[in-house]
Amino acid sequence: MTLGLIAIGAAIAALCGAGAALGMGNATGKAVEAIARQPEAAGKINSSLMFGLIMMETCAVYALLVGILIVFILGAKA
Amino acid sequence: MLNVTLFPTPCYVFGVNVGLSVVMAWCVMALLLTGLVLLNILVVRKMKPAPTGAQNYVELIVDGIHRWAEGKVGHAADFVAPISMSLMAYVFFNTIVELFGLPPATKDLNCTFAIGLCVFITVNVSGFKFRGGLRGRIKGLCNPSAIVMPIRILTDFIAPCSIAIRLFANIMVGGIIMELIYMVVPIILPAAVASYFNVLHVGIQTFVVGLLSLIYVSEAIE
Repeated sequence: MTLGLIAIGAAIAALCGAGAALGMGNATGKAVEAIARQPEAAGKINSSLMFGLIMMETCAVYALLVGILIVFILGAKA
Repeated sequence: MLNVTLFPTPCYVFGVNVGLSVVMAWCVMALLLTGLVLLNILVVRKMKPAPTGAQNYVELIVDGIHRWAEGKVGHAADFVAPISMSLMAYVFFNTIVELFGLPPATKDLNCTFAIGLCVFITVNVSGFKFRGGLRGRIKGLCNPSAIVMPIRILTDFIAPCSIAIRLFANIMVGGIIMELIYMVVPIILPAAVASYFNVLHVGIQTFVVGLLSLIYVSEAIE
């Protein structure tokens, strides 16, 4: 019972990945559109895109860390 | 079951518990400093106007990072680029040791929070330096209007914590995934996956630390 609840908790934490994936896809798509429209601005667009991607990736990694801590620390106790 | 914990692995030096990551960081820094001193004696002292051999690579790295920093922070690059490069070298060499089966120092929250503290000090010093003292810094903090000042101060405190936790989480999770793969398939597959988690991932994290420190500095001095 407790182990099942812990697994569900980890799964809910992993749902954060969906949001991060949506954000990354949206940002990359917009960046590709912008580069297609204005190829000479590719360098600037790429660096801003990189910054945004890092922020989204941070969000996903926090979720991954929370999920892994739930599984291994709470799971080891249960 | 894997043994996962947020606390540093204890390691005793002369009876004092300093943590394994600190000892690892000392060893890596000693090696790095030896290498840099050798580089200084063998290459930098004999620099010629027309570069040959190893001088090409030294110039490529230093000049590349300086130009990259110049694109982000402009005229402050002379001050910020060496700091950013030192942070990147520290993170890179302290994380790449995982490839040789050693525990990386950046897998410890203490180490990454120390890196975050370095970024915080760099941001504030360059904020004071390039905006002309305390008044300029406060004026920079209430940039659009005075109402946003508390939020910007809060951001200044949270940004280093974000750098620290991101680096820690990335390295720790990479290590855990590698250990899980070693448990499931002990041959062939770990070699393929390690090329991402222990080599490419390290490069990405190094790049991210450098980029974020430059971006926070550029926000402070703009």
